[in-house]
Amino acid sequence: MLDLLAYDFMQRSLLAAAIVGGLCSVIGVFVVLRGLAFVGAGTSHAAFAGVTLGYLMGWPPLLLAIVFGLATVWITGWVEERGRMKLDVSIGILYTATMALGILFIGLMKNYNAEVYGYLFGSVLSVTPEELSVIGALTVLVLGLLLLFSKELYFIAFDQEMAEASGVPARQIFFLLLTLVALTVVVSLKTVGAILVFAMILIPASTAYQLTHSLATLTLYSATIGIFTSIAGVLISAFWDVPSGPAIVLLATTIFFIAVFFSPKRERRTRLVHTH
Amino acid sequence: MLDPREPIIRFEHASFGFPGLIALKDISLAIYDGEFVGVIGPNGSGKTTLCRAVLGLLAPVEGHLHIFDCACNELRCHHRAKIGYLPQKGVVDRNFPVTVLETVMMGRYGALGLFKRPGKKDRDIAQEALAQVGMDSHKNHALGQLSGGQQQRVFIARALAQQPKVLILDEPTTGLDITAQHNVIELVQQLHDELKLTVLLITHDINMIRSRVDRLVLLKTRLFAAAPPAEVLKPEILHQVYGKDLVITEKDLVIVEDYHHHH
Repeated sequence: MLDLLAYDFMQRSLLAAAIVGGLCSVIGVFVVLRGLAFVGAGTSHAAFAGVTLGYLMGWPPLLLAIVFGLATVWITGWVEERGRMKLDVSIGILYTATMALGILFIGLMKNYNAEVYGYLFGSVLSVTPEELSVIGALTVLVLGLLLLFSKELYFIAFDQEMAEASGVPARQIFFLLLTLVALTVVVSLKTVGAILVFAMILIPASTAYQLTHSLATLTLYSATIGIFTSIAGVLISAFWDVPSGPAIVLLATTIFFIAVFFSPKRERRTRLVHTH
Repeated sequence: MLDPREPIIRFEHASFGFPGLIALKDISLAIYDGEFVGVIGPNGSGKTTLCRAVLGLLAPVEGHLHIFDCACNELRCHHRAKIGYLPQKGVVDRNFPVTVLETVMMGRYGALGLFKRPGKKDRDIAQEALAQVGMDSHKNHALGQLSGGQQQRVFIARALAQQPKVLILDEPTTGLDITAQHNVIELVQQLHDELKLTVLLITHDINMIRSRVDRLVLLKTRLFAAAPPAEVLKPEILHQVYGKDLVITEKDLVIVEDYHHHH
């Protein structure tokens, strides 16, 4: 095992996994609390469509992923704000439409391109130094903004109307959150892939949700779970020669079910039922 | 301090709503510093719209609205932090991971403004607000584990943490048992008396507030009355708004019923 850690690629992929795991699990807290889980799923598929267009046209794939991701979240947020449509309906339409675009763009490519599939399923072990620096820079940006606006983000996650009524610019903060979700998805595309990034956002925060009654503790637990499962998943992947994305996600899922089983909230509910 | 002649909220022929739907029409109303005002009217009469207007969440489509010394013809007024608000009771997710103290601290966020971290002073203010509603011993409890009445107290503490001049409560007793209803109204009265807060209390329960408020505002899209309870709670005035299903006994007791009441 120690031999493996001596390799450059292994150090890079562990670092990438830890960064992405930490970022996804922190943004996941707000996604889960504000009820945006499905938005995360929709955005990742939209971002993938951007990647495929990039490869088709020879443009930078990550840049197009950002454009597609942001367009999706902003349209979704705008539609929700206008009350035209329920959020799950609009994101459901964009989700499938962008996936259709992605498949169309792949079909239009003259040659089979293995790299495109890397973005779909993730390949943390093949992260290049350049990609690692892009991941690092975007992560610093997203975490910085999260930290800067954390009190407003917690407030709108709890009660957006109340936040607005007490003088917090709630609508702008909501769009900031959507933007950060899109950026997080793009950061994570290469390492965990479009299909599994959603799990990285959702599972650590949902696991932490089972374990605490405090917002501050929730965030701490979520980040810890996210970083731990990502690093452990990569090590499992390298050791047993299994794909890294599924290793991370299945490990996180296992911890989630253990947390549900031992949740203090579950116990309290059970007691309430018994006493009534 | 309590100049009863100085209105702090002033509606001038103000109408609110959306294209095709007028929620409030031609409202002219002045609310004075330190007043305890009850807002009554049937469902859909524009009571919540009135709150949202005062909070600056809704601009008048016609007329004017002045709050403190600021003309609120545009949204996004900075007076909001000076108005504490208890929204109509939504369903609080019993598992939402937030403690009582964390909930009350949110009351500081709007007042603090962007980029500022809450410090010791803010925590002290939040603690004091919790003490004012008698919930200081619960500060580290999970919000979701409290009873409905206790949750309302915590939300009132959050409003108080803004250190407001005006407190707006939208049906604070709905969904509570009778003891809890009484306790919440008692608390509001006490806050009005001790902190000299201007209070706007929306309710369906006229009996509960009629002996406590300075004035009753009677709404049904238009403003039907804004006067001391004895002047508002008269059959001919109430009839215009509630129709037949309302009876006033000789002792001025008001009973609102779902069916036609026979004497």
